[in-house]
Amino acid sequence: MSIAFFMLAAVAVLGGVLAITLRNVIHAVFSVLLFFSAIAGLFLLLIAEFIAAVQILVYIGSVGILMLFAIMLTTKVMGDPTRTVRSRGWVWGGVAVAALLFGVLIPLITRAGNTAESSLSNFDPSVKELGLALMDPYFASVGVIALLLTAGLVGAVVAASSASETTDS
Amino acid sequence: MNNFIDHKIIELGHWVVGFFDEYPLLKLVVQILLYTLPLMLSFMGAFAFSTWLERKGLARIQNRPGPNRVGIFGLLQPMADGIKMLLKEDIVPEESDKLFHLLAPVMLMVPAMIAIGFLPVGDGLNALPLDSAILFFFAIGSMNTIAVFMAGWSSRNKYSLLGGMRAVAQMISYEIPLVLSAVTVIMIAGSLNGQVIVASQQISGWVGSGDVVKEFFGQILGWHIFKPWGFAGFIFFFVAALAEANRSPFDLPEADSEIIAGHLTEYSGFKYAIFFIAEYISAFAIAGIAVTLFLGGWSGPILSGLPWFVIKLFSLFAVMIWIRGTLPRLRVDQLMGYAWKFLMPLAILNIFVAGFYYFAEQQWGTWVALIGGWIFGFGALQLAAKGLSRLNKSPLLKGKRVYQYAE
Repeated sequence: MSIAFFMLAAVAVLGGVLAITLRNVIHAVFSVLLFFSAIAGLFLLLIAEFIAAVQILVYIGSVGILMLFAIMLTTKVMGDPTRTVRSRGWVWGGVAVAALLFGVLIPLITRAGNTAESSLSNFDPSVKELGLALMDPYFASVGVIALLLTAGLVGAVVAASSASETTDS
Repeated sequence: MNNFIDHKIIELGHWVVGFFDEYPLLKLVVQILLYTLPLMLSFMGAFAFSTWLERKGLARIQNRPGPNRVGIFGLLQPMADGIKMLLKEDIVPEESDKLFHLLAPVMLMVPAMIAIGFLPVGDGLNALPLDSAILFFFAIGSMNTIAVFMAGWSSRNKYSLLGGMRAVAQMISYEIPLVLSAVTVIMIAGSLNGQVIVASQQISGWVGSGDVVKEFFGQILGWHIFKPWGFAGFIFFFVAALAEANRSPFDLPEADSEIIAGHLTEYSGFKYAIFFIAEYISAFAIAGIAVTLFLGGWSGPILSGLPWFVIKLFSLFAVMIWIRGTLPRLRVDQLMGYAWKFLMPLAILNIFVAGFYYFAEQQWGTWVALIGGWIFGFGALQLAAKGLSRLNKSPLLKGKRVYQYAE
């Protein structure tokens, strides 16, 4: 179990590092996809198969394709190496972001550790339970998210249609 | 004895595993091999047979003999083709992205091989009996798109890139009606598990009642295709599945009259063969999911579960060959319009029809729901289809058609 975890974690870290260091945009997108699939594998290890499926469906199947689409619409389709500006500032930015992330995450993880062990006995990872939970206690948040996504979609359609009208006239 | 063969196969598996009881690690390896190898080998065999079937079928439609030199009826033709492909030179373009050019066929093969594991091929015969198997199947299927784009992009050839872009646009669009039409079955069965969905297509009071007639019909009449939403859903699913599997008339990514062979242009030798194997196996996988969702899966009278599944799978594949021999290829704008403006609204309406059917069945019983569903539900779908096709009609086609040269 822990061997599989370390292998997947290594692949995830490798994918993440490659994504920010590779010069070729398309290669970077594919390394992000590698990272996503390693994360899906980690979810599978946690017996969260539904989350793993959603991870593959949404992140690899849709977000990855979306990124490829966006690149295909630019002139960098063949992925010729991009020119980048090097500066020392990114170190401080990285340190600040990492401090913020772990400052929030580590206290939360230590607090969540105790509750997870106690509820392991009546652990039921079925899709049915997940569906019932989404429909009953978390219905309000699901509704709000759905409304937000619909608003975003309508906004995208409006933005796209008005742009084409101005180019026509 | 129903499902005799399926139970015997499971017993055989337990018997083989029983030999390794004292060596837990070896037992695990043997178990993994027993779950995967027969499935992979039988689908490879099915692939070889289906290439022969396809060539023979197309030849029959086009009034020519087809392969008839190697073996009886040309049955060994796939072997000859395979040896030829293995011995061919593997040409990699100078300017191509070498790593991705090599990885693309593998990336297409892996999801195809995982996807067949989710199919319930018989009573209790299921390599990956996950609780969310159907969702996982669609998730794995969406990885095909990435592989096809990888192949098109890494070849550094404009036709390959065009083919890859077409493939991405097509697969993304048709995934939506595909999943939406499968949602109806998941709603009614109340599960994402393949075995539960198959069980929901056997009429519960009739199967196992002992009465011969009820036993016979209980395993047929419960199939979701005999319900109004199931019939419509099966048609939507099958059309979208043809597009997902890059089968004709939706084989635009490899339209040879327009863009040579699309993403396959720069591939030769065994890499090309791997592309073909992967494409056929994913076509089989998606046909298998169609069988599981709408055609009762492995359930059927008299014969065992496994033979029934194989019969249904090959019948569906034969329909695919028939369509390939009959219909011309679509244009790109027709293809996209068909997915977004026609199939998707109808698939969403079909979800409502299925919802009404579900509550009508609970309120007034199966017969009322069936009759009302066929009259009102199917009628609504029919009306919507008529209205949509009128709305989508190109302004150029309105008015009377004038023929310049023909009377």
